[in-house]
Amino acid sequence: MTLTVALSKGKLIAGSEALFRRAGLPFPATGGRRLVVATDGLRFLFVKDMDVPVYVEHGVADCGIAGRDVLLETGGDLYEPVDLRFGRCRLVVARLAGAAAPPGSTVRVASKYARVAAAHFQERGITAEVIRLSGSVEIAPGLGLADCIVDVVETGRTLADNGLEAVEEVAASSARLIVNRASYHARRDEVARLIAALRAASTAPDQVAPERSARA
Amino acid sequence: MNGTPHTLVQIPPGVQCFVGPEARRRRAIEDVVLSVFEGWDYEEIIPPLLDYADVFAGPALGPKTYSFVGRDGSLLALRPDFTSLLAKIAAGRLRDRPAPIRLYYSGEVLRYEPPKAGRQSELYQMGLEQLGGVGPAADAEVVAIAAECLDRLGLTGWVIALGHVGAFGAILAGCGLDAAVLEELRNRVESKDADGVREACARHGVPSGVAAATALLASLGGDPAVLAEAEAALSPWPAAQGAVRELRAVADALEDAGLGPNLAVDLGEVRGLDYYTGMVFRLYAPGLGFEVGGGGRYDGLLARFGRPMPAVGFMLGLDRVAALMGRQGADPGTAGPRVESLGDMPLGKALARARERRKAGGRIRFAADGGEAVRPAGETAP
Repeated sequence: MTLTVALSKGKLIAGSEALFRRAGLPFPATGGRRLVVATDGLRFLFVKDMDVPVYVEHGVADCGIAGRDVLLETGGDLYEPVDLRFGRCRLVVARLAGAAAPPGSTVRVASKYARVAAAHFQERGITAEVIRLSGSVEIAPGLGLADCIVDVVETGRTLADNGLEAVEEVAASSARLIVNRASYHARRDEVARLIAALRAASTAPDQVAPERSARA
Repeated sequence: MNGTPHTLVQIPPGVQCFVGPEARRRRAIEDVVLSVFEGWDYEEIIPPLLDYADVFAGPALGPKTYSFVGRDGSLLALRPDFTSLLAKIAAGRLRDRPAPIRLYYSGEVLRYEPPKAGRQSELYQMGLEQLGGVGPAADAEVVAIAAECLDRLGLTGWVIALGHVGAFGAILAGCGLDAAVLEELRNRVESKDADGVREACARHGVPSGVAAATALLASLGGDPAVLAEAEAALSPWPAAQGAVRELRAVADALEDAGLGPNLAVDLGEVRGLDYYTGMVFRLYAPGLGFEVGGGGRYDGLLARFGRPMPAVGFMLGLDRVAALMGRQGADPGTAGPRVESLGDMPLGKALARARERRKAGGRIRFAADGGEAVRPAGETAP
């Protein structure tokens, strides 16, 4: 039986491909429309970024690559043995540049990360009304849907282009290798080989590793 | 009839209903497991479905407990767990029984689970507790019983992941960290996120030696041979070393007893339910993404009920076992027994024959309207 790896075709795909190539592991062509692709040695699933932890937690995939931001939001019971050191970003609270803190006692927050946002304000004793959105969160404050947003930023360009500024950091994020708990133990040898190969590749990001035989 | 169903047929989220072959399969699994428990001389206990809510109070189960106010104003709860309940009974009703008390149970627990795929609120657990059981002997016995259950169920490739919650606490004891920070670190260790452990330690000013030892817990695992490495690395923390030594005694005994191929060590198993104090284990098998069961030592729980003594136990989740057996193609045997046809007869005579057949132990299906007569159960009409 080959190991199954869940990936998303979102922002982590290029980094994931580079990582697998550096590790000398097979990686499918990403242009295709097939969502389940078997390669020589590994099987890949392409799913939505928020669903990667779901597939791995349920053991449909043995492992996967997900951002820490996504893991904080989905809260699955998973192993995260390797910080893959790419896809770095920050989860921040942002509001209209120059705007004062909202005058009312309840903060309206728009976010794709509804759980993270709710927990962030709850821990600080602030009543927050969290509005879950699926994307284009940056326009919410300008249009009056929310007082602020909780979202990921890499360079801050998108925030600036929409007249927003980050006022508080919620968490730092990067891509993580995640592993199903049962696979980790019940398929120990194969999983350990894959973890070792990806860990080695993640700590040597700037050099192309020589041909490796660490096929899982 | 084909339109919208009657509103009363809706079911609340998180509950299940099993019919026919599925129910029979579950009973067959239960029979196998309970016969193993009996075989090791554990006695059955049928505890109440509800009790005072404070029996179950604790950070892990408290928020998941269905509690309600009784007629007399007391706060009651549907049992979210058997272990606390059995500890209470051992300290109360069975207070005069000498330890160790070996008890097993089989039944439902109810836990509130947020509406998320794959989690039921009603879980069926089969487990046992050795209340007053001391040392590696009791630990190893309980793990061996768990192993025998999986074996007898015909499951293959299963792994017992052994850990110990003591090392984590012992390493971090002198650092004066508050509970929230400890919980964060415990989560990072449990996630095997060694980088995250180091990062969180640095953020909270944990000395680098302590940080390295804590990160080691997150990364050390696999073959029981790693325990020797762990013992050496933890020499600055005698209590942590003691924990590893305890675990080694259990692992050695299990290896000598022939369970070596099924054994894994996992020093990152530090969370469990909050009453665990020593050795802990979880059972995994290929085909199911979740553990099928687990257990551990909880030496502090009985003191809560006024009868301080050590204890160890484990449980299997029937729902998980059934799912796993389905995936592994292990069938506990659900074929109905052979039945005989009684043919067409006047009602009274047919009933008399049916009673006769039943007395002889046969399985029949009785059709009193004469249309079907008495036919073998499970067969369709010709």
